[in-house]
Amino acid sequence: MFKIPLTGTMLAASRLSAKLLTPNSGLHTTAATLLKEIQANKLGNKLIIQGSYVPSPRKDYLIENKSKCCPLCSLDLNIKHTDVLILSQFVRPDGCMMPRRVTGLCPTQQKIVSKLVSMAHKAGLMIKMTPENCKKDPTRRKNWKKFNTYFDESTIKVYDNHFTQMKRDIILKYMQNKNL
Amino acid sequence: MSQFGRVKQWNTFARCWHLFDATWQNPLQCSPLIEKYLKGLHKPIYHPFVDCGDHVVIMNSKQIAFPGEEWRRRVYFHHTGYSGGASWTPAWELHEKDPTMIFRKAVYHYMKGNLFRRVVMERLHIYPDSNVPEEIMENITNQIQPLRPIPKTLDSYSNEEIEKYPKIIDYPQDYLLSK
Ligand SMILES: [Zn+2]
Repeated sequence: MFKIPLTGTMLAASRLSAKLLTPNSGLHTTAATLLKEIQANKLGNKLIIQGSYVPSPRKDYLIENKSKCCPLCSLDLNIKHTDVLILSQFVRPDGCMMPRRVTGLCPTQQKIVSKLVSMAHKAGLMIKMTPENCKKDPTRRKNWKKFNTYFDESTIKVYDNHFTQMKRDIILKYMQNKNL
Repeated sequence: MSQFGRVKQWNTFARCWHLFDATWQNPLQCSPLIEKYLKGLHKPIYHPFVDCGDHVVIMNSKQIAFPGEEWRRRVYFHHTGYSGGASWTPAWELHEKDPTMIFRKAVYHYMKGNLFRRVVMERLHIYPDSNVPEEIMENITNQIQPLRPIPKTLDSYSNEEIEKYPKIIDYPQDYLLSK
């Protein structure tokens, strides 16, 4: 059972410890109530790097979600790929879509939004939110990518599995019976 | 003929000049609209044998837009007449060589083929950018309304506008903000 060479285990342990010590790890002794930010301060010869909690910049402008659905389902919006002010909320500064544990959307909405985001990127509407090595100008792209393209939102198809389809049918039937 | 009647006659048979801005417009969807003005279909005196069409000036034809994968899927065919002279050019390659050609072809192919078609096409003036000659620009009296709205990019909004826009989601509690 224990025939793994020692050097290997040592390496793994060192990697683990390095992971634990980095400020990116999600470990914290106190209850996390606010967002985190890494701050680097210089005091004379010392460089102090510390993670600290800051209030969310979106706190004042957040729409309250009182229902049990995800925020997009409860608002029932018809989002187009040109609505960059909405789509940029689901995107990191380098332009990649945030995962579902961050956005808090249901799987269906997450799939739709991620496709809308990719459409907006292809149409060159969110040039601000691109990696640093990006050319930042859609007309400098290669081949057909440099010309203006728009997209049809009805081409986004979300396939439900059998279980969610049945669930939706049951709810619809119930609504019809109750004449809601 | 009375003076008023004479002015009415001038107005009905005068050729108007219409301007059309093609930025973010699909030429295939715009061609019916432009055909209407070129042939004079919007006039009550219209008849196929009456030469009552107007001029249309299209500017910014380099900025036209196609949906989805149309730029590489749409192919233009040409045959030189010799054996092995057939060639297929994707829309993006044609647009690189001549930015006015796709729009001209779209309008030309939309119209019904008869002897009047070439005459009507002579009244269509297409320019790849907004540098329209002044001798043409001074004739223009009307602007055709574009079909699609021009999408606004994120850069066109100020930072304050983006910050103060209503937010749908908030970051989770232990989200690491990057600077
Ligand atoms: Zn949902």
